[in-house]
Amino acid sequence: MAIHKLEVLVENEPGVLARVAGLFARRTYNIDSLVVGPTENSKISKMNIEVSVEGHSLEQVIAQLDKLVSVISIKDVTGKVKEIHDTQPDYQN
Amino acid sequence: MAHIPTADGTAMTGATSLVKSLEAANVDVMFGLPGGAILPAYDPIFDSSIRHILVRHEQGAGHAATGYAQVTGRAGVCIATSGPGATNLVTPLMDAAMDSVPLIAITGQVPSAAIGTDAFQEADIRGITMPFTKHNYLVTNPDEIPGVIAEAFHIATTGRPGPVLVDVAKDALQKMTTFNWPTSIKLAGYNPQTTPDAQAITDAAALIAQSSKPVFYVGGGVIKANAHKELRQLVELLGAPVVTTLMARGAFPDSHPLHMGMPGMHGTVAAVTALQKADLLITLGARFDDRVTGKLSTFAPNAKILHADIDPAEIGKNRHADVAVVGDVSETISALIPALKAALAKSQPDLSTWMRQMNSLKATYPLGYDQPEDGSLSPQHVIQRIGQISGTDTIFTSGVGQHQMWASQFISYEHPRTWLNSGGAGTMGYGVPAAMGAKVGAPDATVWAIDGDGCFQMTNQELVTCALNNIPIKVAIINNESLGMVRQWQTLFYEGRYSNTNLESKRVPNFPMLAESMGCVGLSCERPEDLDKTIEKAMSINDQPVVVDFRVHRDAMVWPMVAAGTSNDEIMIARATAPDWDSQEL
Repeated sequence: MAIHKLEVLVENEPGVLARVAGLFARRTYNIDSLVVGPTENSKISKMNIEVSVEGHSLEQVIAQLDKLVSVISIKDVTGKVKEIHDTQPDYQN
Repeated sequence: MAHIPTADGTAMTGATSLVKSLEAANVDVMFGLPGGAILPAYDPIFDSSIRHILVRHEQGAGHAATGYAQVTGRAGVCIATSGPGATNLVTPLMDAAMDSVPLIAITGQVPSAAIGTDAFQEADIRGITMPFTKHNYLVTNPDEIPGVIAEAFHIATTGRPGPVLVDVAKDALQKMTTFNWPTSIKLAGYNPQTTPDAQAITDAAALIAQSSKPVFYVGGGVIKANAHKELRQLVELLGAPVVTTLMARGAFPDSHPLHMGMPGMHGTVAAVTALQKADLLITLGARFDDRVTGKLSTFAPNAKILHADIDPAEIGKNRHADVAVVGDVSETISALIPALKAALAKSQPDLSTWMRQMNSLKATYPLGYDQPEDGSLSPQHVIQRIGQISGTDTIFTSGVGQHQMWASQFISYEHPRTWLNSGGAGTMGYGVPAAMGAKVGAPDATVWAIDGDGCFQMTNQELVTCALNNIPIKVAIINNESLGMVRQWQTLFYEGRYSNTNLESKRVPNFPMLAESMGCVGLSCERPEDLDKTIEKAMSINDQPVVVDFRVHRDAMVWPMVAAGTSNDEIMIARATAPDWDSQEL
């Protein structure tokens, strides 16, 4: 099953998580994981979403997500995550 | 926004700021019903230049605002209180989302300190309406009201139009603020592409010039973008057949020789077959809805797809697009015309065989119906005569079901914004309140609601609103004493077991008497020989709403039909009767 990793910048406002989660639920996209955190800009939050797109195209998931007014930008970072992890301290050891 | 008032530094309530904001957004009419949480806003509404039409049910306000928007092309506005007032707007919001209608819903909310406490008449209307609003807001700070209202109108009316809900806490309406209308709107996450990509236009023109069996598959987006004139130029430039979906009726004149009719579940044989046999669908502001495609895997199997739409999420959603053009369809067609001229100058496809085939189908399988053998009224004939007698400048609305399909099939639509119905949502009861809104938006036009006896009993209370507010609509109840379309499915697929579809509406209610009690003129017609004079009587009354109870034969069915979930190739022209394909050269 193809899992894609999306980095999504959203308006930091009440209900934004419900907007994104609700979209995935009603369009039957599977969220494998979803992490929300702050950015340097207090008005913007970042969501890291892992989505398995079986039965749907990634383009469609991104296009639907992009229709949410609260979503500012979407980056497909699939395959780039290891590289990002490698540049960060390894807290497990 | 043409008229922007200067900021007003004087102290005022949030409620006054809300009403000033609506005035600044050039709202001239809104439909609503007050209650506790929205009550502060109704005080300044009392003094406002905006006409407020007091409805009898909030659902009526929502559909009326939709009808107004569909006729005028401007945003329609409805307003309601918290809790049940707001939830009564849920159906119109869903309806507007499915049919891409610019609708603004203003709702009161319980005071911000009470939110989350299950307070009296508290409902999380922002949460409830997230799936079917283009965007929505909960405002608790009165200073934010003008900015939010400006954004709401911007979002509702630009890009792919849609509904926006603004929920305002009661204390935000009561607190003091100043009015500051924004001079520009910048939304980081909202920037619809209206101008099509030049390369996509070139590719689209090349694809069209290479095709030998092209079809224009025209959707409601063409009407929303006011692109009907450009469409006609493009169509006549290529000389290819056109089909107009349920939402696009009137985008291209029914009388035009290149028009094959409506495609889909109850489309014409020519329109359905044009899509099935095409080698290219020139898709303009349409979305490959299941009611058009039938079984998707067998839809237009040999066709390449050119898909032009303002919503990038429609591209490839149901059907892969070989060439996609994202943008306003009016701009797209305008750019396509010179590009196609250039492409056709290099290679002009010969469409003569294709057009001969299509014209043969159109001539062999026109829409038709049988007159009932018992001499009773035929519903199709009633609707056809209303269309013929009232003329092509008339605005028609409908409910949902058999009468809706017949109104789409048997009325000739020559102009955009003359056919209003609930296409995507299939909202029974849309007809009467939508007609009310349409008449307010186009007061000089004749407005007929073609309704069913089932639909009429869902929303007829708005006839009181019409009678009291000088909104003289005309309503034709196509009374077959049944939930007719459901009954048709029971006839065809459930062995005639008519479970709960018999409404007995020829016994109760007495529709003319009901109409009279609501301040309307009530008429009745049962015999074909009385049909024309009854319609003419209704046409002669212009100072009151008119309701006509057309008591029709109950067994009439809508044909042609592509049964749900089956292929368009299995279209039936009557029960168990397929077109005679062998006689057609295809």
